[in-house]
Amino acid sequence: MTPFEDISRELGSAIPWSQQGGVHWLAVDPSQIRMVADAMNRLCARFVTITATELSGEEGLLLEYLWDLNGELLGFRVRLSGKAMGSIFDVCPAVDWIEREVHEGFAIDFAGREYEPLLLRPGDKAGVNLREVPA
Amino acid sequence: MSYRIPMGPYHPALEEPYKLEMFCEGETVTDATLHIGFNFRGIEHLAESRNYVQVVALMERVCGICSNIHTLTLCQAMEQLAGVEPPPRALYIRVIMAELERLHSHILWAGIASKLMGFKTMFMSCFALREKIMDVLQAISGNRVNYSMNRIGGTNRDISDAGDVLAAVDKLESEITSTVIPIFTTSATARSRCAGIGILTHERALSCGVVGPTARASGVPQDIRQAAPYAAYGELDIQGTVETAGDVRARLLVRALEIIQSCHILRQALTRIPSGPYNTGDGKIAFAAGTAVSRAEAPRGEIVYSVAWKENSRTPSRIHVRTPTYANMPAVRWMVQGARLADTPLIQASIDPCYSCTDR
Repeated sequence: MTPFEDISRELGSAIPWSQQGGVHWLAVDPSQIRMVADAMNRLCARFVTITATELSGEEGLLLEYLWDLNGELLGFRVRLSGKAMGSIFDVCPAVDWIEREVHEGFAIDFAGREYEPLLLRPGDKAGVNLREVPA
Repeated sequence: MSYRIPMGPYHPALEEPYKLEMFCEGETVTDATLHIGFNFRGIEHLAESRNYVQVVALMERVCGICSNIHTLTLCQAMEQLAGVEPPPRALYIRVIMAELERLHSHILWAGIASKLMGFKTMFMSCFALREKIMDVLQAISGNRVNYSMNRIGGTNRDISDAGDVLAAVDKLESEITSTVIPIFTTSATARSRCAGIGILTHERALSCGVVGPTARASGVPQDIRQAAPYAAYGELDIQGTVETAGDVRARLLVRALEIIQSCHILRQALTRIPSGPYNTGDGKIAFAAGTAVSRAEAPRGEIVYSVAWKENSRTPSRIHVRTPTYANMPAVRWMVQGARLADTPLIQASIDPCYSCTDR
């Protein structure tokens, strides 16, 4: 069984992996991201980053989690309609700063962790969407 | 007695602004927190309003030390979306520029580390050597800092005199191996100042996801040039440089060995560089909708560019940069725990931090 099949089976996902732009992608539900992090830990994959993107109109936000598995990039796409997402900091300490950055830049609340001290904006604990802050 | 001691954001031991807030019991650091963002510029957001030519110039300015690797990684991602393949000569020119930049960056760091060790004559020697590397970079690109070498589909300039560059590299290697390397590897001063301090264990390095020389000094053999070769690295012999002690000295040794390794790679690239065009020309570029992720081994470790484009758009819809220092910085907290306060400037400098990259 390949790592891809292994991860899909663990997540109970029937959605096939796709390959684009140098990454093997899988769309996952926000509630599945902890299972993904656990699976990545078991496979000894290295966490790389989270890319947050604000989608147009009312489409919400897209979070792309990337891990490196033996030189291959595995990407997990999470569509968020709201502003809340479970943190994986406790199972994957390497996400610490990037979760904080996404929190501060896109106002996404990663539940289950603290944010102090802030990285990019002094003062307020609450994250803000920098794209909505007038220059 | 317990103290809380801030170092930074402006401090003689820091080259750029950040804040390391240390909790001390007497002279021993028990814990620390890190604060960045003092130079946050919002470059990722700014990039969303730049077209595919302008965005290369913009991202080159994320960092003044490793400017070339930013544009190389960005261009690789945009080339994936545009379906453009640079000619073989361009791939070799990219390797040559990347390795010269690594040499320049490592020698710069060696100078700063020497200064923090109290080794001022070594600091001067390193900066004199760095000038010579910058002269080579200037001879190739016409610039000393932002080289403007990379573009979608190849490079902006050719290396017309590979023999001259090779002669310069040979001379540089001879000088470096007779001055910097012996002092860093055998000097009692360097050993006594660096051995056994700022330890990052193998397990902690894995859990923090550190990259580059910081990871390799903790026994993690992670190098994108080998794990996921890009440009012409797949055709070149690259030997891993791994140390296992995880202390400041190990990070010093890894970089010293990488200086020699870079000269080895440069020699191969300069002798094997194929003839032919160095870019694909000025044809109209159309981007496919979607996301492309590109990685490269910057002097401080893996750099990641995630670039998203919409159909028929002139500008990217999102550019995200994960710089190596961003991955390495959180580990400083673990490195300084249990250290003497006087060692902390050298410990935090041992990851070769770049706050310009980190703050973007």
